[in-house]
Amino acid sequence: MGNLKIGIPQALLYYEYFPLWKNFLEGLDAEVLISGPTTKEILDLGVKSAISEICFPVKVFYGHVMSLKDRVDYLFVPRMVCVEKSAYFCPKFLGLPDMIKSSLSSLPPLIEPTIDIRKSATNFKNSFLAVGKLFTNNSKKIYQSFHEAQRNLKLYLKSKENELDQKIISQQYNKKLPQRDLKNSLNIAILGHSYLIYDYFINLNLISKLKKAKVNVLTAEMVKKREIKRQLKKLNKPLFWTLSKKALGSAFYFLEKKVDGIIHLTSFECGEDSIIGEIIHQESQKYPSVAYTEFVFDEHTGEIGIDTRTEAFLDMIVRRKRYESNFA
Amino acid sequence: MKVTLPNLGNLTSIAGKALFSNLGHEVILPPPNTKRTLDLGVRYAPEYCCLPLKIVLGNFIEALEKGADTIITVGGWGPCRFGYYSEIQRMILKSLGYKFEMISMEAPRGNLIRMLNYINRLRDKRSLPSFIKALKLAWAKFGTIEELEKEALKARPRENIKGETSQVLKAGLSLIDNTNTIEEIEKIKQKTLCDFNEIIKTNKTKDVIKVKLVGEFYVALEPFVNHNIEEKLGYLGVEVERGVSARPWITSLLKFLRKDNIQEEIIEKAAKPYLAQSVGGEGQSTIGHIVLASEKGMDGAIQVIPFTCMPEVVAETINKKVSEDLDFPVLTLIYDEQTGEEGLVTRLDAFVDLLKMKKPERHPIKR
Repeated sequence: MGNLKIGIPQALLYYEYFPLWKNFLEGLDAEVLISGPTTKEILDLGVKSAISEICFPVKVFYGHVMSLKDRVDYLFVPRMVCVEKSAYFCPKFLGLPDMIKSSLSSLPPLIEPTIDIRKSATNFKNSFLAVGKLFTNNSKKIYQSFHEAQRNLKLYLKSKENELDQKIISQQYNKKLPQRDLKNSLNIAILGHSYLIYDYFINLNLISKLKKAKVNVLTAEMVKKREIKRQLKKLNKPLFWTLSKKALGSAFYFLEKKVDGIIHLTSFECGEDSIIGEIIHQESQKYPSVAYTEFVFDEHTGEIGIDTRTEAFLDMIVRRKRYESNFA
Repeated sequence: MKVTLPNLGNLTSIAGKALFSNLGHEVILPPPNTKRTLDLGVRYAPEYCCLPLKIVLGNFIEALEKGADTIITVGGWGPCRFGYYSEIQRMILKSLGYKFEMISMEAPRGNLIRMLNYINRLRDKRSLPSFIKALKLAWAKFGTIEELEKEALKARPRENIKGETSQVLKAGLSLIDNTNTIEEIEKIKQKTLCDFNEIIKTNKTKDVIKVKLVGEFYVALEPFVNHNIEEKLGYLGVEVERGVSARPWITSLLKFLRKDNIQEEIIEKAAKPYLAQSVGGEGQSTIGHIVLASEKGMDGAIQVIPFTCMPEVVAETINKKVSEDLDFPVLTLIYDEQTGEEGLVTRLDAFVDLLKMKKPERHPIKR
């Protein structure tokens, strides 16, 4: 068999799983084509082809599919249902392949493994192995490729975890900071779905803008898993979304560590964020020293608007810190 | 305990009230949904939450103002947001400074003791037989209300005097509200059904348009929220068939006790070619109902959903394809706090006109 071209849209869960998907497919001698970072064209395509009521990230996903569909033999759109006990992905991920198939025409065939560990504990692995059967009958090769891919995913996640400079968090608030350094020592946590935080086109380069303003940017990936688990015990009722659990747990963690500010990135019509946004907001009331704000992104979000709000947010924190340190 | 429940059509105000007052609690129902309920909900709820959360939050605030101290509601475990709503509402109400306790009925995931504790408290030291008796009575009322409402949907497009059906229904429901024995409920039911039959008989041969009403549970069942869509359609000469009803919903909550539900399986099977995976809420059954309605030779379907609803938006996307494939008209109505009555009426009018024009095409023999 010649090398099959498999397209992976760079949107939604791509940002969580791409080392696994890409390495697995490449290990099977497939040629993997990734749609690349979001561009204006992709966004426009998505907005045009998806229904208007759906959430913004799904529209972006549609755009990526549209830009890929004529260039590949297969599209890889896994249906992620459940990867841990008692938690799901958002309903839109559950129906994603079906939505794509029913609203876009002239699509290449979809590779859509359903990953649902409620069915069996080994479902995650098995559904990938089943995908491998499409390419080769060599089971050993499929196995190897899967394990290699999984190792890569772990490495990827680890490397993100290490980005957390533990020192930054622990140093702060133990000592008064000298005033002239105030600007350099802001710790701001950016929370939200990874497909908002790492899609620099959608969030209008927010992270690099913050870094330019000498802000230490913290993200949920930098918080240890067991820390998130511990923080989530604060909830009265356990949350049942895998992605939101991470965001919420790390929000609680950053609040407890009293970072300077938390920016919650959310997108138009995001169902999960409407809930956890409220929970973070309520929890943040208990930590008056932590500034909290929410940025909502959609296809109309303008760069200037976000710049202004970021600046205002940072100014507010700096001013408050100066004020407080004057008192002390 | 001064107990309150969220408004849901006639179901909680009659059956729910019966259950808890028979258990010896004082029931303080929230006042009927009004603009104020909505305004209160919109003011305090997160912006992107769906309309059901906002209205129910408004209900709770109004009931707490009236002096209730215990809120009884339902919850779930996802993936639809609804599962977490009771918890969010509790947090919001607490932050507003209300003093109350919230009892959320949900599958006891890992916390059977808490569930039993709740039941024990609701039982209020009553003996088990009398507890079961109260449950049975409420369940009978519950079933009867739904049955009468469904029958009224058949009678309304065939009535000679506008509003006759609604009057009969209202009279029947208020009788049910005031009885306390199962035998009597059965009698009232039979009598009301007879009255409906009288109405239907007068125009039996009338060829009415048949529409399936599907969509999100709360919006489909709460007349204030859907702007009384069932009655409006009835007056336009449309026989509405409900795709959503509360009884199977409750039995499906009790799924952990019983797994066989043939009706549900049929619906799921019909939806499978279009939506292979349950997406929470009523998403998959919406698709299933539409497919089945088209197979049954109905004229169209209306999907009612609250703005930002997660499962139904998936269904809406897929509906377009279903509608195209089966040549079956589907109208999606999205409700939010800004939905206006006139806009809705215009759209319903236009849709019904379309169905009427299409009808000879679908049933060429009858003509």
